Amino acid sequence: MSKYTLRVNGQPHSVDVASDTPMLWVLRDALGLVGTKYGCGIGECGACTIHVDGKPKRACQTMVSTVGAAAVVTIEGLDAGANHPLQQAWGELDVPQCGYCQAGQIMTAAALLKRKALPTDADIDSAMEGNLCRCASYVRIRDGIKRAAEIASGSTPARGGNS
Amino acid sequence: MTRASDAPSPVVDRRGFIKAGALVGGGLLIGTYLRFGPDDAFAETAPAAATDFAPNLFLSIAPSGVVTIIAPNSEMGQGIKTGLPMIVAEELDVTWNQVTVVQGDLNPAYGRQASVGSGSTVGNYAALRRAGATARAMLIAAAAETWSVPAGECTTEKGSVVHAASKRRASYGELATKAATMPTPTDAPLKDPNSFKLLGTRVAGVDNAKIVTGAPLFGIDVRLPGMVYATYTKCPVFGGTVSSANIDEVRARPGVRDAFVLDNIPGLPSGVAIVADSTWNAFSATKALQVKWNEGAVASQNSSEMAKQAEQLAKATLPDALPADATRIEAGYHYPFLAHATLEPQNCTALFKNGVMEMWTPTQIPASGQGLVTRGLGIASKDVVVHITRLGGGFGRRGSNEFSIEAAAIAKRLEGIPVKVMWTREHDFAHDNYRSNGWHFFTAGLDRAGKVVALHDAFVKMQGGPGDMTAGGFPFTAIPGSKVASSKLPAGIPTGFWRAPGDNGNTWATQSFIDELAHAAGRDPMAFTLDLLDAVPGAGAGGPGRGFSPDKMKAVIKLATEKAGWGRPRPRGEGQGFAITQTNNAYVAIVADVTVSRGGTLAVTRLTAAVDCGTIINLSAAESQVQGAMLDGISAAWFQKILIEGGAAGQTNFDEYPMMRMPQSPRVVEVHFVKSTAPPTGLGEPGLPAAAPAVCNAIFAATGKRIRTLPITDVDLKWS
Repeated sequence: MSKYTLRVNGQPHSVDVASDTPMLWVLRDALGLVGTKYGCGIGECGACTIHVDGKPKRACQTMVSTVGAAAVVTIEGLDAGANHPLQQAWGELDVPQCGYCQAGQIMTAAALLKRKALPTDADIDSAMEGNLCRCASYVRIRDGIKRAAEIASGSTPARGGNS
Repeated sequence: MTRASDAPSPVVDRRGFIKAGALVGGGLLIGTYLRFGPDDAFAETAPAAATDFAPNLFLSIAPSGVVTIIAPNSEMGQGIKTGLPMIVAEELDVTWNQVTVVQGDLNPAYGRQASVGSGSTVGNYAALRRAGATARAMLIAAAAETWSVPAGECTTEKGSVVHAASKRRASYGELATKAATMPTPTDAPLKDPNSFKLLGTRVAGVDNAKIVTGAPLFGIDVRLPGMVYATYTKCPVFGGTVSSANIDEVRARPGVRDAFVLDNIPGLPSGVAIVADSTWNAFSATKALQVKWNEGAVASQNSSEMAKQAEQLAKATLPDALPADATRIEAGYHYPFLAHATLEPQNCTALFKNGVMEMWTPTQIPASGQGLVTRGLGIASKDVVVHITRLGGGFGRRGSNEFSIEAAAIAKRLEGIPVKVMWTREHDFAHDNYRSNGWHFFTAGLDRAGKVVALHDAFVKMQGGPGDMTAGGFPFTAIPGSKVASSKLPAGIPTGFWRAPGDNGNTWATQSFIDELAHAAGRDPMAFTLDLLDAVPGAGAGGPGRGFSPDKMKAVIKLATEKAGWGRPRPRGEGQGFAITQTNNAYVAIVADVTVSRGGTLAVTRLTAAVDCGTIINLSAAESQVQGAMLDGISAAWFQKILIEGGAAGQTNFDEYPMMRMPQSPRVVEVHFVKSTAPPTGLGEPGLPAAAPAVCNAIFAATGKRIRTLPITDVDLKWS
């Protein structure tokens, strides 16, 4: 066991875990941040996508010992008001089916939007390819990313969820 | 989300469970266990307090005006946690934003809690309408008595009772306390479906806010004080048992609390439990586990051998002569085993304390998990409490409940300590109840006019499990004397319900072969199918146990082909394909547009579906289900197979079992519904079966290559 001080969602956290523990399980078991999901454990499905210093990373492939003082952001900390344009768009368009992959989808899409404010279909294809949706909600994920880009650009006002 | 912050605090009893009284129609007060734990965000509120109007188990109205509706079934993405409460809210006549939805626990009083067979809406529709209408009638009675006016002069709107003549109005919250004293009618009037205001509209999923913020929701998210984490390793060869294992070595691994063999528990396969202080330590120790297995007889089974056996079995059932002047057309179709691969691996959390087994289970059939625990561990069903969590995908996988008995067996041994049993992704692939492989050896006869005069299907699948074929469905019913001869391969590989059981493979085979026949007859496949539909005798009577309406089918064919621009000539390398299914009583026609490059790269560019599923409950979820089901069917047909080698599954993770990803998803996926006020059919599955044959028929139109074996990636699609 080794002690680490991590910076997660802007807060310092001390954990005492085996040095080969992936961030996925540090977040879920040690810190109780269960929004980051386990799907495959080999970096194939994207359900565990987090941001490390602003870049999307697979938490199942990111050992706790390699994180150091980097800023880690999870779905719980994506937006202080839980009101990121992607979160708004996901509600408006009712994107989730089972919902299990959606935290990872949103984290990957958030990194895409930071890089490219108005992504093309081809941009969406290449950025999102690493995130499996077993329910195949891809049509609404694509529409949701485009809608979030609209909301973020202020070109059309957010419509609010339909519930 | 949907939680009322001002709901009364539930009562905690001596055993630490939260109990809440809920009145059923007869006035009987029964206890309902609810979630407990330090993680308040995971808990949902009590369904009713003593001061509320709670005319039945499904709903209560607080004096504050908050309407709480129970979602009795398991949410796995099909939208049932939103859809069933919408039915209650419609008949109650409240607006959706007045409603708080609470997930129900397993409770026989709720009725049909099994979420399988696209049956949750079908099986609960009438009862939930009655539940809402009964409450509405009692609220009207309360208002009428208060105002001394006839109840028949009162109406309701948006959660209020209105007496138009005297211009009086009272909200349901104001009436709640008095309504609770009104007699419960047994014949409260139901709304005319044409006057529905909520049903048929788009309503977003009630858990969306939790999903997009990562709040605890799924079975894997359950956390209890002092909880430990466990894996349970079974023999990779189906039916194998533990001979010996390096238990002492595993116990010495970091963070491991205990390790032990479980054997001879009815309903629980023999295996090794490893209990640790974190999931990662449990997984790490599982990698270090070495087991000597008694593999048993199934070790000799292989997919390649099964193919040879299937062919032999089929040969013995092939037909004799066809009508003298008929042209004989033969084709063999094969589909492989499929895994469910729900993205949330199987898991279950259990606590055994004071003789009670309390469980948090992502399950499609909570009662079957309870039954396994009752039979396996000898705990009375009243002492097996099952909380239903959200499911990270179901697809039929979570209809079986091995994870329930695994968690309960380990929890019983750890008495007083909550334990979460977590399957690794590799365990999940290795121990599925797979979609059975299957073979169809078709023989058909076409007369000189291109009419089908004979159809014979020599069908083979694994013994056991769903998915058998009969000649009682279309297209067999359209061809006099047609026959299905069904044979079975020896049991051994566990097979089970996979989204649209039977139809998911059989519709692909039959709809592909019909397309072959149409081309052999020189006919347009759509026109050919319409002629076959005209030949189905006794419209509405169909085959045994499944009424079939050729007219409803023709209506969806017309709608889908019109919207898709069917029949326009296309250059080589582009093609449209068409297929239909009647699944769970819904009628679906799908047109697929594909391109295939000369090099053989397939792209599905557009899907157009038309669906008649009776009354639509939630348009957003309905559209989403059909989109997702179509893509699910195409993903499986395009990429997926489980190969059995030495009695074990050969694929272990998503790198070896690919799925459709964003770039392969068609950019245009249209779903058109036929307007209907007929009772709702199921809709979680019907979108699936016709999608793959539509794509395969489109590949034929584009390239002249007929896909007779799945997955499509096993077929070279190059053309020149």
